[in-house]
Amino acid sequence: MTVQGLRTVTSAQNGAGAFILQCKRLDLHYNLQGASSHGLRTFVQTLLPKFARQYPQIEFRVSPTPKKHPVVRGHYINGREKPICVRNMQPNEILKKVILLKEASGEKNRRQSKPVRSLNESVRGIWSPYHGDLRGV
Amino acid sequence: MFSRSVLRRFASDLRMSAPSTISGAAPHPQRACLHQTASLKASQEQASSQLSSSKPESPLSATPRAQTSQPTTNQRTPPNNFIPQNRSHTPDEKRPVAPEFKEPLKVTRSLMERLPHLVGQAPHYVVAKLHDKPYLLTPGDHVRLPFLMPKVQSGDILRFNRASALGSRDFTLKGNPHIDERLFECRVRVTGTDAEPLRIKEKTKRRQRHVQQIRSKERYTVMRVMEVRVKTPEELLQEGAVIVEEGEDSPAIEAKA
Repeated sequence: MTVQGLRTVTSAQNGAGAFILQCKRLDLHYNLQGASSHGLRTFVQTLLPKFARQYPQIEFRVSPTPKKHPVVRGHYINGREKPICVRNMQPNEILKKVILLKEASGEKNRRQSKPVRSLNESVRGIWSPYHGDLRGV
Repeated sequence: MFSRSVLRRFASDLRMSAPSTISGAAPHPQRACLHQTASLKASQEQASSQLSSSKPESPLSATPRAQTSQPTTNQRTPPNNFIPQNRSHTPDEKRPVAPEFKEPLKVTRSLMERLPHLVGQAPHYVVAKLHDKPYLLTPGDHVRLPFLMPKVQSGDILRFNRASALGSRDFTLKGNPHIDERLFECRVRVTGTDAEPLRIKEKTKRRQRHVQQIRSKERYTVMRVMEVRVKTPEELLQEGAVIVEEGEDSPAIEAKA
């Protein structure tokens, strides 16, 4: 008998029952002096408090990194992270990027040709030529 | 779904003017409208009993339940630092509009006879249409729409109300061209947005060295099917469905050949 791995009983279907936001943490790194960080510094002071209060399930970490361009980095439940460089951006542009990170699932971007992906078996079963009535040509 | 946005302004006017009949019955009337499955029977009994006294002319309880919601005063004028926490905090014009039905649902006698067979045979599938494109959905499916749906964010629940077919293993209810939205419930949850990898298309012109690079990176709305449910004949009758004789364009359930 061949060695068989453990079969998974269930697979995660986030949103079918309960829904968990996939983004768990957002890191905002900026430079204290740099001109390219000016937008992110303003964002942290003006727009971030309201946004952070709206999403209590996301952890926000704000920290200065010297001599670097500003970066917003999203950490996801599946263990991946997604960094976006926000140098020379206005606060409202940065807000769009932060919303993008919040809405993302953390998966790698892939091309997908079919819109529906299903784990369920086919509802109507597989067609068989030996069943059902005969149809004239 | 999008056609309802036309009714939005009209409905918000109606909400302002209409007196609150059942606002005491449900704490969040909009939520009750969305989660119809769970609180269907309880809220409908309340609604129908109050309807019979106040509005006897409207046959369906679903219609006035959402419309007569009377928002409190702090919802009208939220302060600057106010953050909406649930659906009742959203302003009137942004709330989902419950469908308005001019007349009760008409079902034929043969449909009523065959509907229990369809209802009893789980699982079900539905061919839901969005922008006239069909999506064959079963509960738990992962859907990536070929476009970015505006004005939704992750966590929102949508109800797909247009379907061309609804079926189980052996039975199919076919619409002509669509099934009445009061016969079934199909809900999806928006789980976020997705993007494709950056595409670069190189464009060239004749006798020119210059190569133009066109970059595109489309974004898509991702959702998960929460439920696909066919209503039982008892539910339909309770909601005010009327049994009529056979017509030409009446939907019928077909058995598998």
